[in-house]
Amino acid sequence: MTTRSDIEALIARVALRDRGAFGALYDATSGKLLAICLSVLKDREEAEDTLQEVFLRIWNKADRYAVTGHSPMTWLITLARNIAIDRLRARQRAQNGQDGTETDTLPDSRPGPEASTIAASESQRIVNCLDELPDQRARAVRGAYLEGDSYADLAARFEVPLNTMRTWLRRSLQSLRECMSR
Amino acid sequence: MSADLPEMPDDDDELLAAEYVLRLLSADLEGVAARRVAEDPEFAARVHHWESRLADLAEELDEVKPSPRVRRALMASVSGAPESRARRWWLAAGLGAATLAALAYVAPLPFLTGGPDLGAELASADGALRFEAQVSGENLVLARLEGGPREGRALELWLIAEDDPAPVSLGVLPDADMAEITLAPAVAARLAGGTLAVSDEPPGGSPTGAPTGEVLAAAPLVEL
Repeated sequence: MTTRSDIEALIARVALRDRGAFGALYDATSGKLLAICLSVLKDREEAEDTLQEVFLRIWNKADRYAVTGHSPMTWLITLARNIAIDRLRARQRAQNGQDGTETDTLPDSRPGPEASTIAASESQRIVNCLDELPDQRARAVRGAYLEGDSYADLAARFEVPLNTMRTWLRRSLQSLRECMSR
Repeated sequence: MSADLPEMPDDDDELLAAEYVLRLLSADLEGVAARRVAEDPEFAARVHHWESRLADLAEELDEVKPSPRVRRALMASVSGAPESRARRWWLAAGLGAATLAALAYVAPLPFLTGGPDLGAELASADGALRFEAQVSGENLVLARLEGGPREGRALELWLIAEDDPAPVSLGVLPDADMAEITLAPAVAARLAGGTLAVSDEPPGGSPTGAPTGEVLAAAPLVEL
């Protein structure tokens, strides 16, 4: 098992254009990152193409890692998921014959002064807190995060009106926030 | 949806941040939120926090081994990239032996010829600020691994030579993760046995030529 500090050291070396470290980082994390791409895109070939894009982004953006203040896996997972969802939305737009703006590179968030205090005070993890939600609502949150579902996708999946879905999900997020800060 | 636009109470911002991270917002609102991430530190912190909370969900996914073509294509596409001069010393000094043993792909280490002369790992007591330094001849490379200057302050690098307790300034650190410093030959000659230190200074560096603020991290230079 590669530890958090191993992955951090690898990212630091990738920022220095160390190809050996890049290969090692790929070997340590590509299984998880492909799982995320596949979960969102549901197409093996497209997921692997996306994985390739993710790692090229890592190669080019590794020097940005430190300033995000995230744990290394959170950074990698967030990056992979956002790129996969960009692809998913582009595919959906192409199917619907609409054009839209590529959001693509979302700006890096950084913790504000109070963020580390908030993080430290949270003992409950999201997985435990999802268990406290009604089953369908927990599934909706997972659908949005793990499968990149939009409100419209979720409304169709759970056969409820769009506004109902939106209300459900927002209440779920509020409950999660309360639960995690307990 | 217009109810979600900025200037709302905390709870609405919190939900907007969560929806933004989940990618549930319409393209328009996502653009608004993305601008706020760039401009509003408090909102960015909320987004950051949700990213971190939600990323735990990925633990539920079983890893999927990619086909070998992906790795081959990636390694081919990065193989033309220029290699940093710092690479060899990173391999030498950046990782402990235990880590090296755990990582198959760093196995053949081509760092022994023409490598660095001296190195140091500097860390603050709480680990919030960390640097690695390496010297080869008159070139000093300093990589910032963690942390940075305090708000409105600068970091300055010093040499405390073995035979002289008065620190010599090696320069104010740029706002970059890597700094390359060319040392004067007289300074380079005094490095062996010396100590590197990083101090907290006003913008532009110490006005006196000696450290004026707290010494945040220090470490002896060791032969590599």
